[in-house]
Amino acid sequence: MRRTVVLAGHSLRRVRAALIVLAILLAGFQFLLTQVAAYLMRRDGFSQLADFIPDFIRTAVGPEALAFMSFGGVVSLGYFHPIVMTALVGLTIAIGTEPAGEIETRFVDLTLARPLPREALVIRTSIVLAVAGVLMLVAMLAGTWTGLSCCVPADAERPPFGVFARLAISLATVITCWGGITLIIGSASRRRAVAASVAGVLALTAYLLDYLGRAWQPAAPVSKVSPFHYFEPMVVITTQSLSAADTTILLALGAAGVVVSYIAIGRRDI
Amino acid sequence: MGRVASDPSRDSSHQKLPAAIQLEQISKTYGSIAAVRDVSLEVQPGEIFGFLGLNGAGKTTSIRIILDLVRPTSGRACVFGIDCRKDSLAARAKIGYLPGELGFYGDMTGEATLNVLARLNDAVVDRVRRGELLERMRLPSRDLRRKVRDYSTGMKRKLGIVQAFQPDPPLLILDEPTEGLDPLMQDALYELLADTRRRRRTVFMSSHVLSEVERVCDRIGLLRRGELVLVSSVSDVRNMAARQIRVLFREEVDLRPLATRDRLPENCEVIETTARAWTLRVRGAMGPLLSSLGALPVEDIEVREPHLEEVLKTYYKDEVSS
Repeated sequence: MRRTVVLAGHSLRRVRAALIVLAILLAGFQFLLTQVAAYLMRRDGFSQLADFIPDFIRTAVGPEALAFMSFGGVVSLGYFHPIVMTALVGLTIAIGTEPAGEIETRFVDLTLARPLPREALVIRTSIVLAVAGVLMLVAMLAGTWTGLSCCVPADAERPPFGVFARLAISLATVITCWGGITLIIGSASRRRAVAASVAGVLALTAYLLDYLGRAWQPAAPVSKVSPFHYFEPMVVITTQSLSAADTTILLALGAAGVVVSYIAIGRRDI
Repeated sequence: MGRVASDPSRDSSHQKLPAAIQLEQISKTYGSIAAVRDVSLEVQPGEIFGFLGLNGAGKTTSIRIILDLVRPTSGRACVFGIDCRKDSLAARAKIGYLPGELGFYGDMTGEATLNVLARLNDAVVDRVRRGELLERMRLPSRDLRRKVRDYSTGMKRKLGIVQAFQPDPPLLILDEPTEGLDPLMQDALYELLADTRRRRRTVFMSSHVLSEVERVCDRIGLLRRGELVLVSSVSDVRNMAARQIRVLFREEVDLRPLATRDRLPENCEVIETTARAWTLRVRGAMGPLLSSLGALPVEDIEVREPHLEEVLKTYYKDEVSS
C-alpha cells in the first residue's frame, strides 16, 4: 500500500496545478451564480424570466422549470450546468485514462519493473479521482457558501445549505460512475488519446441520450441506460433529498468499473 | 552452426545457487505471430549475459516476460528460483531494469524522477551510492534539478542507468544500455558493468552492438525470429570463427603447390597469395598449418583474432536470407 500511496502522491503532484486552477474556476463560477441570483432578485428578474419560458417547455419540464426560476434555483444551477458537468467529466476522463497514458509513454515499464502490483495503478487512479472529485466539490461548495454569506441581499430566499451539499453529493455519484467507466477504458487501452476519445464520446452520447429521454417520451425507456438518467438535480432541489435508488445505482456502477479495471489490468499484457 | 553447450569453465560453486534467470520453454504468440518460440535459457549468478538479435527477434518480449509485463503463452520464467508470474513481486524486488524506451515524464526533474522510483523499491536507496552513480554517469546536481524534457537522449539514458542501478539489485536487466550514449559515457558504463561483475551482481543485457557485447559479456544468447539459436561463451563463439593469418617469407616461394592445396591442411583456405606473402583463413587449430609451413622460409606470421561479429553476422545473414 505504501507504494500505491507513493504513486498517488506522484500523480497528484503532477496534476496539482490543473486541479487548483479548475477548483478556483469552479468556485468562482458558483460565486458568480450567487451574484447573478442576487442581481436578478434586486431587479425582480425571476418573474420576468419565468414569463420568457415558452409554454411547451413548461409542459415538457413541468414545475421544475419554475423552481429553477428562483434565487435558490439559479444558485443551484452550478451543480448541474453543462459547463460544470463538462469540466468535471473531462477531469475524470483526464485522470481515469492515466493507466493508458503510462502504458503509452512506457513510464509503467519503470514502475512495474519494481515490486509494485499492476492493480496499484487502478487503486492509485481511484485515489486520485476521489481526491480530485472531493477537491472540486468542496471548492464549489466554498464558492457557493462565500457568495451566500457575503454578497447577497438579506431577504433572499436562500435554500438550506444542505441542499447544496446534497447536490454536490449527487454530482459526486455521477462523477464516481464516470470515473469507473473511464477506468475500465483507461486500463484496457494502450493509447491515452484513444481511451480519452472513447470515454468522451461515450459521455457525450450518454448525456444526449438522457436529454432526449427527458424531452421525447418514446426515448425515455432507452435513456435509462445513460448514467445521467440517474442524476436528478431538480428533484434534489424540489424535494431537498437524494434519491437512494439513483445514488446506489451510480455508486454501484462506479464500484463495478473499479473492480472490472482491477481485473482487466491484472490479466492484460502491458 | 549448431547450438553450443553452456560454458563448462564456470565456477562449479555457482551451480548450487538457483539460476539468476531461468527461462523454461517460453513462448509468446500474438494471434498467428510467434514473438518468442520455446526459449529455454539459464543465466548464472554473477555473470554478464548478452542477449542478441535483430530488431523484432523477441529480445524485448523475453525481457518483458521476465518482468511479468507480458504473460507468456506457455512456459515459465524464474528469477533466482522465484516464479516471475506466481510470485511476481518477490521476483521484481530482485531486478533493476533499464528499458530500451525510457518513458520519463518530461515535466518532472531528474531528481524527482529518481526519488519517486527509489521509493517504489523494496530496498532503501543509499544516497552515497546514488551520488557515486551520478558522478560516474556525469550527471551533476545542476542537471538533476532540470526538467527531464530538457534532457538530451544521452542524459535520459544516463538517468535511466542510475535509476536501474541505484537500489543495487542482485539482477540488472538492461535493454540496449548504450543507445544514445557518447563514447566516453559508454566507457563509463562498461566500467560500471565491470564493477558490478566484481560485486557478484548478474547482468542480462540486450544489445545490437556486437563489439560491446564482446567487450563486457561472459556469455551470449542469440535470438532469431523468436528462437534461441545460440547460447555460448564469448570465447567459444570467437573460436567458431576463422582466424585470418598472414605468412611473410624471407624470399620468394613457389606458388604452384597452393593451387592443388597439397601444401596446406584441410582447415586452411587461401585468400590471397603473392611470392613473399600468403593470406589464409584458418578454422580451428593452428598446429597443422605451422607443420606445413616448416619447410618454407617463413619470416613472420601475423594472426588476426576473429571477432564475435564475424560469427554472429553469419546468423544474421541466415535470418535475412531465410
